[in-house]
Amino acid sequence: MLACLCTVLWHLPAVPALNRTGDPGPGPSIQKTYDLTRYLEHQLRSLAGTYLNYLGPPFNEPDFNPPRLGAETLPRATVNLEVWRSLNDKLRLTQNYEAYSHLLCYLRGLNRQAATAELRRSLAHFCTSLQGLLGSIAGVMAALGSPLPQPLPGTEPTWAPGPAHSDFLQKMDDFWLLKELQTWLWRSAKDFNRLKKKIQPPAAAVTLHLEAHGF
Amino acid sequence: ELLHSCGHINPPSAVVQCGSNFTAVCVVKEECMDFFHVNANYIYWKTSHFTIPKEQYTIINKTASSVTFTNIGLLNTHLTCNVLTFGQIEQNVYGITIISGFPPEKPKNLDCIVDEGKKMLCHWDPGRETHLETNFTLKSEWATEKFADCKPKHDAPSSCVLDYTIVYFVNIEVWVEAENALGKTKSDHINFDPVDKVKPSAPRNLSVSNSEELSSILKLAWSNPYFKTVARLKYNIQYRTKDASVWSQIPCEDTASTRSSFTVQDLKPFTEYVFRIRCIKADGKGYWSDWSQEASGITYEDRPSKTPSFWYKIEPSHVHAYRSVLLIWKTLPPFKANGKILDFEVTLTRWKSSQLQNYTVNDTKLRVNLTNDRYIATLTARNLVGRSDASVLTIPAFDFQGNLTESKCYLITVTPVYADGPGSSESIKAYLKQAPPSKGPTVRTKKVGKNEAVLEWDQLPVDVQNGFIRNYTIFYRTNVGNETAVNVDSSHTEYTLSSLTSDTLYMVRMAAYTDEGGKDGPEFTFTTPKFAQGEIEAIVVPVCLAFLLTTLLGVLFCFNKRDLIKKHIWPNVPDPSKSHIAQWSPHTPPRHNFSSKNQMYSDGNFTDVSVVEIEANVKKSFPDDLKSLDLFKKEKPSTEGHSSGIGGSSCMSSSRPSISSSDETESAQNTSSTIQYSTVVHSGYRHQVPSVQVFSRSESTQPLLDSEERPEDLQLVDHNADDILPRQQYFKQNCSQQETNPDISHFEQSKQVSSVNEEDFVRLQQQQISNHISQSCGSGQMKMFQEVSAADAFGSGTEGQIERFQTVGMEAAIDEGTPKSYLPQTVRQGGYMPQ
Repeated sequence: MLACLCTVLWHLPAVPALNRTGDPGPGPSIQKTYDLTRYLEHQLRSLAGTYLNYLGPPFNEPDFNPPRLGAETLPRATVNLEVWRSLNDKLRLTQNYEAYSHLLCYLRGLNRQAATAELRRSLAHFCTSLQGLLGSIAGVMAALGSPLPQPLPGTEPTWAPGPAHSDFLQKMDDFWLLKELQTWLWRSAKDFNRLKKKIQPPAAAVTLHLEAHGF
Repeated sequence: ELLHSCGHINPPSAVVQCGSNFTAVCVVKEECMDFFHVNANYIYWKTSHFTIPKEQYTIINKTASSVTFTNIGLLNTHLTCNVLTFGQIEQNVYGITIISGFPPEKPKNLDCIVDEGKKMLCHWDPGRETHLETNFTLKSEWATEKFADCKPKHDAPSSCVLDYTIVYFVNIEVWVEAENALGKTKSDHINFDPVDKVKPSAPRNLSVSNSEELSSILKLAWSNPYFKTVARLKYNIQYRTKDASVWSQIPCEDTASTRSSFTVQDLKPFTEYVFRIRCIKADGKGYWSDWSQEASGITYEDRPSKTPSFWYKIEPSHVHAYRSVLLIWKTLPPFKANGKILDFEVTLTRWKSSQLQNYTVNDTKLRVNLTNDRYIATLTARNLVGRSDASVLTIPAFDFQGNLTESKCYLITVTPVYADGPGSSESIKAYLKQAPPSKGPTVRTKKVGKNEAVLEWDQLPVDVQNGFIRNYTIFYRTNVGNETAVNVDSSHTEYTLSSLTSDTLYMVRMAAYTDEGGKDGPEFTFTTPKFAQGEIEAIVVPVCLAFLLTTLLGVLFCFNKRDLIKKHIWPNVPDPSKSHIAQWSPHTPPRHNFSSKNQMYSDGNFTDVSVVEIEANVKKSFPDDLKSLDLFKKEKPSTEGHSSGIGGSSCMSSSRPSISSSDETESAQNTSSTIQYSTVVHSGYRHQVPSVQVFSRSESTQPLLDSEERPEDLQLVDHNADDILPRQQYFKQNCSQQETNPDISHFEQSKQVSSVNEEDFVRLQQQQISNHISQSCGSGQMKMFQEVSAADAFGSGTEGQIERFQTVGMEAAIDEGTPKSYLPQTVRQGGYMPQ
């Protein structure tokens, strides 16, 4: 027994998972991405308030809850809980990445329309931040070894004001964009929290493995 | 004037690295040369207004001259090419500007800071001054995206503010590129998360409030910067009293988490404190915020912590029996007043009376008229919260001086009065005049030993001391001896007298001495004990043990040497009465019937043996012998003394000891128990006088008589058995033929036994016994029993005995070559002999 334990200890340096001096793994970048989603969520709250005020009533009324009309092109964040649970890491990340790619495009369109300089600045900052989030997600995906989804053809915002849209409907689209963004950020926070918990305990796993070896 | 361009310098302009060499060539147009009638030798160089020495020139050809500067220093100058026309007129041909400097060094210490609410500022150390115009460019990028370059402003060339709003939680890579006319370089890249470079805004709206419950605390509250929503914060809180210049800091571990209020403890009451606070990201990454605006607060009042300094002045009064006393005190300093002093309360109490006079005063003095008695004055200060402790002052009676008496102890206390109040007082005991004590100390014993006694006594009460006790003297004597005196220091209350004589009456008394003399105390007597504690036990116990040991050794010795003892004390005297005369028995078949082995085994039965039973007589007449048989008896209670006595050891009687004695044996004994012969033995042996008469009476073929008549036979036998040989022979003649068979079988058995353990041995013996019980020759059986008993008594010694037993038996067999071989075995066993 003792000899076995000694042998295990002797070979301990050879256990690759214990030599954590090198690449810290995806853990920190997932944590960062999680923090970023929380931060963006917070940022969006104030931005949306300003923007909805800019849109004016009824969009800035707290109980305004219009049907989702004309916003079909927006990626939906809401998903069945079971479906969400059954997603694997790769799929989860891919969905996030694609969603934010789309949302960012739309948001840039919004930016162009925005009226006040202050609002434009806020939107520009938010866009940069969202760009950062996309980069972060890409980084996590790279760290986990999943390929980046191919950039969609025609990534330029197709949501430019067209003749088909009335002013009200366009505002409605803006409203839904912000709302969907908010939901996506909530979901991403959940996604990354889940991923974080899944990735974090590798040290414990190594310990268990060793015990199994030793006894 | 001359033509504008009469020549040119190559290079047309120069930026030169300091320390390098530089050469410029001036080429003058030929027509100018001709015009002025000069050649290249007339060309000279000037920097600013100084002509360059000719040594640095090189004439290249008729129209060209060059100048070389080696190891150029720092310069920023004009170099002109001139021609001396007409021998004396300086004519400027061309001029260039030379600037020297250094290529940019690699920028170092690049770092960035994000002032909360502002854009990110990066700064670096540009390195050595280049003396040239050097452009820095700050570059930044994400892993996925490049940002616009940042160009430093002219007034701050080594820092740059990135013009986009920074995004937290996304790592950014930043570096600086520097470029001037002499080169281009770039710094190391730094990669960081901007959230780790944040300098938060200072906490705002710091407020301080006190608590009426606790005068030692102040509560701080503040608003956190917006950065709190991005990351957790920790704080530094500093405070000082209003007048102090040094800040104290609250331990960092108490403020290491995001919060918006804090209670500062251990402050002084009623004191104004100033606070400030700053914050940083909780993990310590980033920069401390600026200090917040200072805020101050006053702790709540507490009751005064100290009594005021208090004194009196007695002024003569005109009124008889009264005096005017001025009581004065000082205001408390703020740090002791712990609040605003509202008033003072003075209480005057006349000595040994309950008469109280109370005064409440706002001032710091009070004048009262008192009698000449002694007074106790107390003073307390009062603030909003409570009163101070009382300051007590004794105003002595007017006639204080007269009444000191001799041989009384006085405690004199002196209290210094300083500008800010009384100091600590000092006291001393003093006597006006000392006297010898009025009583001597009472001494008693605390413990009395054989040679020493511990004395103890109590300090004399102050009333009887009459002075300072300097020392004690202890006097002790025996009833008859001289008195011995011992001096003892006055600080002791215990003394040990040593070298006392034991069991002696001592008388002891003590005297106490002051400077003026001594006084004896009462005498005390005590007796030292004869023995010290435990002495008796120390003697008695070893003696008892030694006795026990001796006894035990004696017993053991006796037991071991019982053969020898027996031989000396109870020599085995042949007992004629035990003689067996087989022929006497009418039923006994002829002896030679048993001489054949075959017959014995085939019969398996000894019913024909005639046994002479003499039990009753032997028992009565030989009680001593019985005693010596005790050991034997224990092992086989069934023997019941049948084999006792010398006669009992005979082969005849040994049939009795068998555990499973059969009826046949009994009957055999019974049949032979009626022989008259017994009476003869009785008288004969008892008096140990085996007289000739006895022999004459038994005129038979007694083997005993044979053996005694033939002592020379003894020499033939193994010396081990020499002393008992007579009986051997006696047996042989009696029943040697009978014994032969059982003994051979027994001998064989012993061989087996030697390889088995003790228990097996015993069991085998017993089996053997029961097998042969009916046919056993008496001594054969007996021997086996003794073996059993020996096994029990000596444990593991048994096997050794058996081996020896065998050896002896073998030797004997060789010697004799006859059925006598049995004899030595019997001898060794001492089957009957040691009785």
